[in-house]
Formats: sequence, structure tokens, C-alpha cells
Amino acid sequence: MDTPRSLTPPSSITRRSLLAATAAVPLATPAIAQNALKGTKLTILVGQFYVPENNAQLDQLAVDVAKDTGMEIHVERLAGDELGVKTAAVVATGRGADLSIGVEFDTYLYASKLADVTDLANEFGKQYGGWLDVAKQACMVGGKWKSLCIGQAPAAWNYRVDQFAAAGINKFPDTFDDLLKAAKVLHGKGTPIGMTLGHASGDGRSTNYPVLWAFGGKEFEKDGRTVALNSAETLRAVEWYKEIYQYFIPGTTAWLDPDNNQAFLAGKCSATVNVNTIYLASRAAAPTNPVMKNIMENMDHGNWPRGPAGRFASYNINTWLPFASSPNRAGQMHFLRAWFDKSFLPKWTKTGQSYFIPTFAGFDNLDVWPEDPKLKIFRELNKLNRLEGYAGPPTPSAAEAVSKYILVDMFAKACTGQLKPKAAVEWAAKEYEQIAKKHRA
Amino acid sequence: MSGTTIPAVALRRRRRDLGYWLDHERALGYMLVAPVVLLLLGLVAYPFMVAIGYALSNRTLADAGEFVGLDNFIDLFDDDIYLQTLRNTFVFTAGSVSLRLVFGVGLALLLNESFRFSRLIRAAVLLPWIVPTVLGTMAWLWMFNPNFSVINWVLVHSGLMTEGPNWLTDPDLALFCVILVNAWRGTPFMAITVLAGLQSIPQDLYDASAIDGAGKFQRFFYVTLPLVMPVLLTALVLSIIWTFSDFGIVYGLTKGGPMNATHVLATLSYQAGLAAGNIGEGAAISLTMLPMLLVLIIWQLRRIRRSTVL
Repeated sequence: MDTPRSLTPPSSITRRSLLAATAAVPLATPAIAQNALKGTKLTILVGQFYVPENNAQLDQLAVDVAKDTGMEIHVERLAGDELGVKTAAVVATGRGADLSIGVEFDTYLYASKLADVTDLANEFGKQYGGWLDVAKQACMVGGKWKSLCIGQAPAAWNYRVDQFAAAGINKFPDTFDDLLKAAKVLHGKGTPIGMTLGHASGDGRSTNYPVLWAFGGKEFEKDGRTVALNSAETLRAVEWYKEIYQYFIPGTTAWLDPDNNQAFLAGKCSATVNVNTIYLASRAAAPTNPVMKNIMENMDHGNWPRGPAGRFASYNINTWLPFASSPNRAGQMHFLRAWFDKSFLPKWTKTGQSYFIPTFAGFDNLDVWPEDPKLKIFRELNKLNRLEGYAGPPTPSAAEAVSKYILVDMFAKACTGQLKPKAAVEWAAKEYEQIAKKHRA
Repeated sequence: MSGTTIPAVALRRRRRDLGYWLDHERALGYMLVAPVVLLLLGLVAYPFMVAIGYALSNRTLADAGEFVGLDNFIDLFDDDIYLQTLRNTFVFTAGSVSLRLVFGVGLALLLNESFRFSRLIRAAVLLPWIVPTVLGTMAWLWMFNPNFSVINWVLVHSGLMTEGPNWLTDPDLALFCVILVNAWRGTPFMAITVLAGLQSIPQDLYDASAIDGAGKFQRFFYVTLPLVMPVLLTALVLSIIWTFSDFGIVYGLTKGGPMNATHVLATLSYQAGLAAGNIGEGAAISLTMLPMLLVLIIWQLRRIRRSTVL
């Protein structure tokens, strides 16, 4: 249930003066901010971070900030798609929250309803050795930062070392050709791999876009308006997918986000693309569950194979969306400063076990990485992300194509034989053209 | 004629009195229907007009957009996904309502018999209708799960199959699954509504027809069916409307996949309007349900009016 919100801005204090005041004062000694923010209200919409301690840390931060400033902070935790729907409602009505956690394309979709946080972004970038390019792509619109990147959840190949070894494969394949060969052998041994080809909002993207890019395919030209999907490179990617699909575990075209985790943890699938939640789940259950212990001990993570055009990855990204409609802009800024403070963010990151990693270049040198050797690869994976819409920016057209699962369905239609590979590419290109035409208009 | 005259001031005052207006039948009528009219205007007409406005614009979640006329509708009819979705919606509705009708009427006839624990069983039959959609859908999702389908486990372990069907993977089978779950959820409503109709049929009619030599089938077709028909048609029309605009079951089971094989207008509208942020397009998709539903509603209203007049 929503807490009643403050409908009037705090008295006569201007946004500029308050920003200056809060900028100068760290969280520990918020003398000026305390006076300015006392009695104001801040509603923050958040989802569930996979690592429960990360949720608790966010809640505690809100409590601490509230205590230091006298501001009333309400953290509203929403499940799954609810967060996106509530965020959309706040954007449309200008009421209901001051800050929200958004995903990849939200900044572009809602840019005109978000506050300019360029000053803060520059400050935090400087503090942590600069933002990674992917953060700039996700958060900057028209040269201004309209959101702040919380982090990304790198997806890796999760694979069973023992089953690969039993098939005579001693390391995770380094090329797409090798992955195809490995899939064939593993299928023959009764331990097939599986890649999500269903309408899974997270895994659908992180599994399929890297295949397109690895073969040199792209959705748009650099201008973000010209569709470039119908190409020989895309066709090669589709043909590769069709070939490997015959060695998959059955059912992948119906896989939603939890299904590949379940298949892997049930020992039915020897490799799949996922964030590190499969490993974290098996590790958490290992002390009391011998089956999970066996999976934990016998699995590892591998990087995406290299294709003719290179090695790419697509990850889920979370951003802080500061609503321009908020009557408590100073409160927003103060909370964001507290979030990105050195006393909080590195600790929060380390607790998260590389499930969510902030997109700062300087984090590579900080003590934020897990000790577990099976999670070490995520430090490297953090530098690999590319946003959908490539070679253009993450425009509303790219967002719409993602939300309509056009690329996923292109591969699925060819894999299942519903369309020939060339026809599948043409079908997808037509859908992209229609989307782009609409947004160009 | 009375010679009494009412002073002009007193007359004006009386006109302002509530009693004055209550004495006038015409005014009183307007006053009595006013709350309902206001409610309908606020809760039905206003959102409906807003939706039409959105559908005629290129509005997004963040921007008000501008008037684009019928462009959204024209674009839809050039979109393969929309056309596939439209087909799916008709198949989904026809399939689900047919199953509801057959099983609902059958179940009502069974429940109309006297047997032990009949009241308890009548109440239990309502469970699929009472359980929140998302909970029921989650249970079915587990049963159709590509990895752990309990249905497949039974089929394989009973020796009927060596490998269970891929319920949600095959496009046709996936569409059948969403139809089946929707029918499962809606059958109790049909059954209980028809049961109420059955129980209002006087026993005398059955006794009379039995004396005339009517068998079980004749009694059903010449007594039961005609008398239960008004209730049945109402339940049928409501079922069609609810199924045509259903969202939760498809979204929970398949999110419209695989390859859009189970997308219905409500899920596509959500995808376009909220997930992609194109409110105008989402509203246009929703509004294409209107002609079909309007025909049904007008037919139903005329039928109700006819039966009232009779």
C-alpha cells in the first residue's frame, strides 16, 4: 500500500540551493540537508534483487538516510513485471513515486519525464574511475544523463564440467563452430544443452542477441532509424541456430525465465545461458541437499564463444530513474548520493556475489569481487555488454522489438521449421521496418 | 377556480424547495437516475472516450503525442503479429466457450441430481472460478512445464507414451493448453448458472412429460433445454465477452509464445501499450475487440428487452 506522499515542495528552498547544500555534505554529517529535508517524503519503487541481503541493504540505507535527514522514506518493493507497470503509471500520471528502478530502455522511453542528473553522473563517474560505455548508452539521452546505472547482471554460459568431460570436451568451446560440435556430442551422450527461445523477458535477450552479433548481424544502422537486419550475416546466424537447435533439450521454445534454471538444476541440461543464479542457488542448497552439492561442484561458468565478428554479450541492466515530477527533488538527489557513496555501493556489490555489478571502470580495482573461484569470470564479463538496437542507440524502436520478441521469434521460427531461415529473417526484418516506420513518424 | 394567489417571492422560494422538485415526477425521475448516470459517465464513458482518444494518437507513456487519425488501425492490419493474434483470439474464444458449454451443461445436469454430499460437491466445483487466476495458472504452468510436467510423468510411467508431449512448445498444442486452462476456469460459472436455471424448472413439467411417454432425451430437449435457454444464453454471452478479453491465463502460461502462437488481443495490447510504451497502439489493439463485443452486447440487450416486454 502506498504511503501518503507530500504534495507540496519543501517550503521556500530552491532546487539549486538544495543541490548545492546536499552536494557539499556527506551522508554522515548532513547538517544542512537534515534541516532542508526534514518532514519531506520520498517514495522509491524497487524490485527484488536475487541476493536477499542486497534487498536488506537497500532497506537499511533508506532507514539510515531517513534517520540522518528527517525525511520520510517509503520503499515499495514490487514483484516481477509489477515494477515496470507501476513505473509506467508514475511516468504517465506524474504521481506515485519519486524514484524507481528501471531497466535497459526505460531511460530512452521516459526521457522527457526524467530529471537531468548529469552533475551527479559526472561526480560518481569521477569517484569510481569513469562509467563503462554501456552505462552511458543506457542512461544518456541527447547528451544528458537522465538516469544512473545501478549495474548489470552478466549472463554467462553455465555448464556441467563433468558432463562435458564425459563427452571428451575439457573446456568450454571458444568458437561457435566448437559449440555446435560440442552440442552434437553432448546430445549423443544424452546430456543436451539448451538455449532459451521462448518469450522470456530476461533470458530471451541475453541468449539470442549475442548470436546475432557474433555473426556480424545488426538490427539497425548507427543512426538507429535504418533497419539493417536483413543481411547475409543475420542469415548465417539463423542457419547456425537452426543447426544447433536439433541437439537441444526439447521444450526450449516454451522456456520462460525460470525454465532453463530448473532444467539445469534438475540435471536435464548440460549447458545454458544464465546469470549466476543457478550456481548461487545450488551453492545455497548444497549443505543440506546432496543433489545440489553435486551440481555446485560439477558446474562452472564460461564466456560466450567467439563468432566470425567477435565475442559479445547482452545483460540485464538496472538504472535509477529520477522522476522529474517529484516534488522532492532534493530528497531524490540525497538518496542517490547515499546509494553511490563509497561507504555503501562497494559493500553492496560485494554482498551481491557478482549477480549485479555496477558499471564503473574503477570497480575492477576495488575489493568488490567474490572469493569463490567459480564466480571470478564475472569480473571479465562485466566489460563485455552491448545494448540491443546495435549499431544504433537503445531507441524506442529497439525497445519495442525486444518487447515483441522479434529476434527471439526469428530464431525460433527457423529452428522449428515454421519458416525457412531466409523467410524467418525477412519476416523479422518486416516487423522491424514497421516498428521503425512508426517511430520515425 | 381558487381565488387564492401565491405571491411571486413565495413562488420562487417554493421552486427552490426540494419538496417542490420531488413533487414533479419528471424531475424526480432524473434525480433518481442521476447517480447511476454519473457513475457510468465517470467509470465507463470517460475511460472509453480517453481510450478512443489514445487510439487515434501516437501517444507514448512519456509523451502526449499528436492526432494521427486511423493510422494505428491501418498499421495493425499490415502487421503479421496482429493478424495472427486476431486469429488466435477467435480460436481461443470459440474453443474455450465450446468446452465451457459442453462441460458446464454436463456438470450442471450431474449436480442437479440428488446424491450424498451434493451440496459440498457443488461448492467444491466452484473452486477453479474462485481461486485467483494467477494461482490457478501457476499450477497449470507446473503441470505443462517442459522439464517437470506431472502429466507427462504419468503418461510415461503408466506406459502410455515413451516421451510426453511438449505442451507449451508446439504452437498448436500451446494454443490448446491456454484454451483448456481458460475452459477449466470458466466451466464452474457456466455449470452453477445453468444449475440455477435447472432448479427453477417445476417438477410438474417433468411429471407431465413422463406421463405423456417422454424419455430422458426427449425430456431434456423438449422441457429442460427450452426452459434453461434464457439463463444459458446469458451465461454464454458473458463467457464469450470474458474470454475474448482474457489476459491473465495467456500471460501467465506463455506470455504469448511460442512464436506468438498464443498471443490474444489483451496480451498484445499490454505488450504494445505498457511493455513497449506505445499507448496509442496498445489502445488501438484493445479497441479492435469492440466491434465483436458490441454485436454481442447489443444482441443480448435486445434479447433481455424482448423477454422483459413479453
